[in-house]
Amino acid sequence: MTSAAIGASLPGEQRRWFRLAEWQLALPLSLAFAGLFLAPLLLLVATSFFDDDKITQPGFASWLKFFGDPFSYKVILDTLLLGLKTVCATVVIGYPLALVYLDLPPRLQKVLLFIIVLPMLLSVVVRTFAWIVVLGREGVVNQTLQWLGVISEPLKLLQTELGLVISLTQIEMPLMLLPLISVMSRLDPNLRDASAALGASRWRTLFTVIVPLSMPGLIAGCLLVFASATTAFISQTVIGGVRLIYLPLLIWQQSLVVYHWPLAAVASLSLVVSVLSVIAALSWLGRRSSRHLHA
Amino acid sequence: MTVHRRTLLAGTVAFGGASFLPAIAQAKGQVVATTYPGTWEDAYRTIVLPMLKKKDNIDLELAPLFAMDQIGKARASRGAPPFDVFVLDPGPRIVGLEAGLFEKFDAKKLGNLAKLPAGFADDVGVHVSAQVVGIAYNPKKLPAPKGWGDLLKDPWVSRLGITGFQTTFGTSSLIELSKLFGGSLTNVDPALVELKKVLPKIAAVGLPAAMPGLFQQGQCDVMYTNTQTVATLKGKGVDVEFVKPESGAITFFTTMHIAKGTGELANAYKYLDMVISKDAQEALTKPPYNFLPVNNDVPLAADMPMKSLDEMATYVQHDWSKINPQRAAWIEKFNKEMAK
Repeated sequence: MTSAAIGASLPGEQRRWFRLAEWQLALPLSLAFAGLFLAPLLLLVATSFFDDDKITQPGFASWLKFFGDPFSYKVILDTLLLGLKTVCATVVIGYPLALVYLDLPPRLQKVLLFIIVLPMLLSVVVRTFAWIVVLGREGVVNQTLQWLGVISEPLKLLQTELGLVISLTQIEMPLMLLPLISVMSRLDPNLRDASAALGASRWRTLFTVIVPLSMPGLIAGCLLVFASATTAFISQTVIGGVRLIYLPLLIWQQSLVVYHWPLAAVASLSLVVSVLSVIAALSWLGRRSSRHLHA
Repeated sequence: MTVHRRTLLAGTVAFGGASFLPAIAQAKGQVVATTYPGTWEDAYRTIVLPMLKKKDNIDLELAPLFAMDQIGKARASRGAPPFDVFVLDPGPRIVGLEAGLFEKFDAKKLGNLAKLPAGFADDVGVHVSAQVVGIAYNPKKLPAPKGWGDLLKDPWVSRLGITGFQTTFGTSSLIELSKLFGGSLTNVDPALVELKKVLPKIAAVGLPAAMPGLFQQGQCDVMYTNTQTVATLKGKGVDVEFVKPESGAITFFTTMHIAKGTGELANAYKYLDMVISKDAQEALTKPPYNFLPVNNDVPLAADMPMKSLDEMATYVQHDWSKINPQRAAWIEKFNKEMAK
């Protein structure tokens, strides 16, 4: 029974008290949200409407400079594409892994879950530097391939988009798998049996039963991976290098190197808006598929 | 037993108030100083903090902040600085000077002033460490380069790791490279043009903080950097040597300044005096910290690039008041020229 339903079942005076208590309970979180998220966001918006680095002259110069430069559009597009590529890679690898998880006995499920969560227990800096060791010129991958005689010269994996997507896929994988497994574990196993009994092949069962029903988890995973990959400054700069320029690098340069906070604010807001737009589109897709399913 | 709300409140206030007492007792001997995150923070926490406590009974609170972060916080605080002492490289030092963030400095209050080379203290602050910038290379993989120009030639260029204008050492190195091709202190375009010509060959273009890691992992085998990084890498067993370019190594000094409006003026001077003292400077020069000292009494290690501190006067130095106004545009240009 939900809290609203409990409140409705109480007598008049108690119901009023309950509603008041419910409102008061939400107050600390609301205040924290307003103070720690909304206020800084408004400050960010206000800062962007200044022309100079000393934040003394109000104006639109920072917006005009940022959006008047075609390079900014390239950076925004590259940032969003990086997020989408990482999402695709995590789905391609993560979804089969989630299916394997479903078919495992409970004890092995616990082991697999631990392996999935393991990367989250390490600092992102450690994980990122570990990827330098793996992908580097003298790293594990190159040494293995050279030992096997597959290549004679080391491959350039570090400071390439391919290397960055590979490492982000591993780094962000728990964000895809945890919501996916959470939703898929609640699926009724009888549905698969029923599908098979009605003559559907395993593939047909997968695409007509399991995938549609797991869509809320898949969409949630995509949202988390996308938001995290597009803003992963450390991974982007350390593994990707500075020839691959994404919005977080521009924000860092303007805020902590050049100290032009209005331009940094414009770049930050561009990142927020562009990432939120893709997230909104993914959420819309999720709602649409959910409606389709219930219809 | 019944506990009334008023009793509970009074008890809480009394308990909370009592917790401030030790702070009041300690407040007399305290100074808040900024330090760079990483090696600087570790070194100052390990060496300077206990020395200052022992000698002057002053509690040193270290605030790890990058240079421009310090400037940002001091500006934002509008006259009530969140720390008492800045530590800055030449570029941010000029920004702080122009913004009027420093207390007028009276070098005579430093007991160790006589131990510093001439000109190492002025009316805005004191030099606390030197940095010498040149070329680092892996002697097992490459012959020693002679100068900046070699970086763009084979065999070095295909093993070269570069970084942009975010740091003092990166900016200084690119200026020197630019001078070889007709550039100047305020014109780095020739360096960018030459770098772009060989860009597909260059092994790594990274953030300054990532370069030592990339060198250690063999991603690049030659880079421009400072002697401190070379000494730190050597300490980790990495094959690395430092070369003074034939046109001269670059040097610049890290300085400390007292924040304007500080309430801990006397303690700030005591802290600075401790930083430049022979004991602190000598300890800071030792591994794993490998600082270059500013105190004449401190013996220079054999692998340091100079025989005496005075020799640094012959090294290349840059006027950061001319560099600063250009830097934002240079960073933007570097982004565009180097972007894939």
